[in-house]
Amino acid sequence: MSAADLSGVALGYEPPVEQARREGRIWIEAGGSHVLRALGAGFKSALLAAVLDLRPRGDARVVILGAEMGALDARSREAVRAQVAFLPADGGLISNLNGWENIALPLGFHAPRQLRDAAPRVYALLEPFAPDVRALLARLPEEMTPYERVLTSYARMRLGRPRLVLAEDLPRGLGAAERQRAGGFAAAYLADCPEGTFVRLEDGAQGTDEAD
Amino acid sequence: MIGVYRELEGSMRLAAHVLRRFWVLKLPPVAEEFARQVYFTGASATASVVVRGALVGTLIIAYVIEVLNADAALAVRILVWVVLREIGPLIAAVLVIQRSGTAVATELALMKVSGEFSNLRHLRIDPQDYLAVPRVLGIALANAALTVYVQFIAVGGGMLLSALVIHVSLGEMAESFFQLASPLDVLYSVAKSLLFGAAIGVIACYHGLNPPGNSINAVPKAAISAVTQATLAVMLLNVVFAYLVYGSALFGLFTAAA
Repeated sequence: MSAADLSGVALGYEPPVEQARREGRIWIEAGGSHVLRALGAGFKSALLAAVLDLRPRGDARVVILGAEMGALDARSREAVRAQVAFLPADGGLISNLNGWENIALPLGFHAPRQLRDAAPRVYALLEPFAPDVRALLARLPEEMTPYERVLTSYARMRLGRPRLVLAEDLPRGLGAAERQRAGGFAAAYLADCPEGTFVRLEDGAQGTDEAD
Repeated sequence: MIGVYRELEGSMRLAAHVLRRFWVLKLPPVAEEFARQVYFTGASATASVVVRGALVGTLIIAYVIEVLNADAALAVRILVWVVLREIGPLIAAVLVIQRSGTAVATELALMKVSGEFSNLRHLRIDPQDYLAVPRVLGIALANAALTVYVQFIAVGGGMLLSALVIHVSLGEMAESFFQLASPLDVLYSVAKSLLFGAAIGVIACYHGLNPPGNSINAVPKAAISAVTQATLAVMLLNVVFAYLVYGSALFGLFTAAA
């Protein structure tokens, strides 16, 4: 595939031939919401390491947001990586920071000037999904329900304005109402960021679906 | 032996990282961690220092006057030598190792075994920048401040308690103190305690960032290693400092060539 053809690719991952024959490969077009089903644990961790840690296993080919990662220098790879966010099933929160501090942490590191205007945006992001935003922001992760942890992680992700979001399957133990609300994260993200791509890594029958 | 070398090398690398990346303190989350560390290591430890410091000062004065049958001037001279130059920084360092050294090593090791370092990396945050830099610098600063506080309490409290208990003239002791104490003594002890604090912070962070395993059992092991090695490092640094500054170490056992 030529470089020009990659412009419409949000995420491409081709492991080495043997592994690709066994576990398949991933090729996702930019835009919209997608579901990747039944990724083996090893394949999923290899994919996440390649995309999030920029450590592809062996000679795996990785394309992120139209850029062939193997052809980029370290600085350019970091610039592409900065546009990718990850939503882990457990929220991936830092245990000694409360909800607000967890949400503001990456912004404080990568764009501290934007912190001043972050509070109203966080409220706007959380209000459709949480009955009491103030209480949620004051809680430590250990005091949160699994849904609240994922929601906090979602708000943190949204503040970074990523162009590609990789979201793990929703955690077990969520009620039907919470599951339905959490299902709205992709739609809310895409409504605000139409050029973005939301990819959910789900357990289930193998395949790649367009979710919307 | 290889393990000791690895730990030493790792600690030196971490110290170099802190020096190279200290500018991350200007980032709000790091500045907040720094302020928290200074508060927990310095401000919240002050109460526990008052009684110990005052008792040490009183003990030295009482011992010199009652047992050695010396006058107040000599008692104060020994107080200045011992408390300002040696005991003050050591008391503060031991207190910081007991409180903050264990707390930092445990906290970081727990974060490591529960996968929070990966979470930070996924946010493109280097755990050393966010966790080690503010803790090492915070502990160094707080240890220096705590040392000055210990010296103040030990000297002031010691003279006050001695005046009450063994009926030595407070005015006489204060006069001797201001004649004998020099700003250089304070400067020397502050420089030394900054170094002690930095060493404690680096060692505690190193063991917290590199616990011996990924199970919960690794957490107390990391804390124990941090405490024992930090104590050893402080003792060694004290000897080296005394040798470099005064030309003698271990009460004259080792003497620098003239």
